[in-house]
Amino acid sequence: MFQKEFSETLIELIESVRPPTETGLIVTEAEIDVPLEISSVVQKDKLVFLGNVPHSRWKSGFLPKVTLGHIRVVLEED
Amino acid sequence: MSSEGSFLVEDFINAITTQLDRVQDALRLKAVNRPLTYALKDISLDLHVFVEVDVQGNVRFRSSGPNEVGASTINLGFTTITRPMIEENTVSLAMSRSPNLDEIGLGDDERKRLEQLGVRNAAQLQKLGQSTSTTSVARLTGIPVDRLKNALSLGKPSVTQVSPVHPPVKPPPIKTPVPFVPPKVQPQPPPVVQPRTPVLQPQTPVMQPVQRTKSEISHPIKIAPGTKKLNLFGNNLVGGDGVPQVKLNNQTLNISDADEDVLVVEMPDAPESGALEVTLTDGQTVLYQLSFEDEEVQFESENFSDSENREDFFSRDLWQPE
Repeated sequence: MFQKEFSETLIELIESVRPPTETGLIVTEAEIDVPLEISSVVQKDKLVFLGNVPHSRWKSGFLPKVTLGHIRVVLEED
Repeated sequence: MSSEGSFLVEDFINAITTQLDRVQDALRLKAVNRPLTYALKDISLDLHVFVEVDVQGNVRFRSSGPNEVGASTINLGFTTITRPMIEENTVSLAMSRSPNLDEIGLGDDERKRLEQLGVRNAAQLQKLGQSTSTTSVARLTGIPVDRLKNALSLGKPSVTQVSPVHPPVKPPPIKTPVPFVPPKVQPQPPPVVQPRTPVLQPQTPVMQPVQRTKSEISHPIKIAPGTKKLNLFGNNLVGGDGVPQVKLNNQTLNISDADEDVLVVEMPDAPESGALEVTLTDGQTVLYQLSFEDEEVQFESENFSDSENREDFFSRDLWQPE
């Protein structure tokens, strides 16, 4: 199923900015503009927010609305 | 919650916030095993929704479906804020613990009208009433003054009972039973009753001095010596301005636990009898005259002769001629 909780998509997006360890690079800040398919469902009497990147790049008449999300990720310093 | 696919705005926002909290929690957990971790600083979303207003006047959102045109675009932005910013921009926890508007007898329509003025509980209603006046609130909301006054009186803080916190009871030591020896009864002649002529002697009734404060009369309370803590039972004790202030002989006492219906007050190391003053969150002061039980025993021994015990003294009608 292409629908999943928005938090899962966000974690994957944030982790995607982490460069491979062997490169020796550190990304300190990243801004991501990403199209998202947003929807919501009621699970166990609670509203759950779903969000994923577009599941298809083909145009059709049954695709959910795509909204634009802007995400800013920063390196956490302890 | 859901009405034909539409949701209350606050449910909608809460659902997004829950997802963002999960992201932060997951990233925090990852930081345990990784030297570097990332945090989600800001996020903004352009949501395509249909905005509806239900019969109760609640604004609801419905997500736009495929091929639906005419949806509104809501731009929601979320950012991380610090603890001082949270404290500055949110209602205090003490304020949120106050009874809800329906708990103080207000109906749905009245509740909604007050919510439009930012009043969601009794403490906020009290605060608004104090800063303006009940009449102003009644005029703005269209709720009758007597309804508001009644609701305010139900949400008012009050102390109903003061009692010592008893330490855990230790099991009594096991004693060897003492054999019962019946007392020896010696027959006595019946008492001779001599008629007395009543002499009228007007007596001055004994009056305890009554201390009055701004609003309350002092109530006597007696506790056992060595009492470490006192329970103050009541209603709506924790209000918008925090917890009540408790003083014994003008010395502020520490409050170890505070809840809506009970305060636990720590007694000083060497407490003395005197005025126990409770200043409630609405400014009302309740006075208690605190004394210790051993002082009562001393009082008895000093003021009553051997032939006259305290019980007889108090059961006697002071105005009856002797």
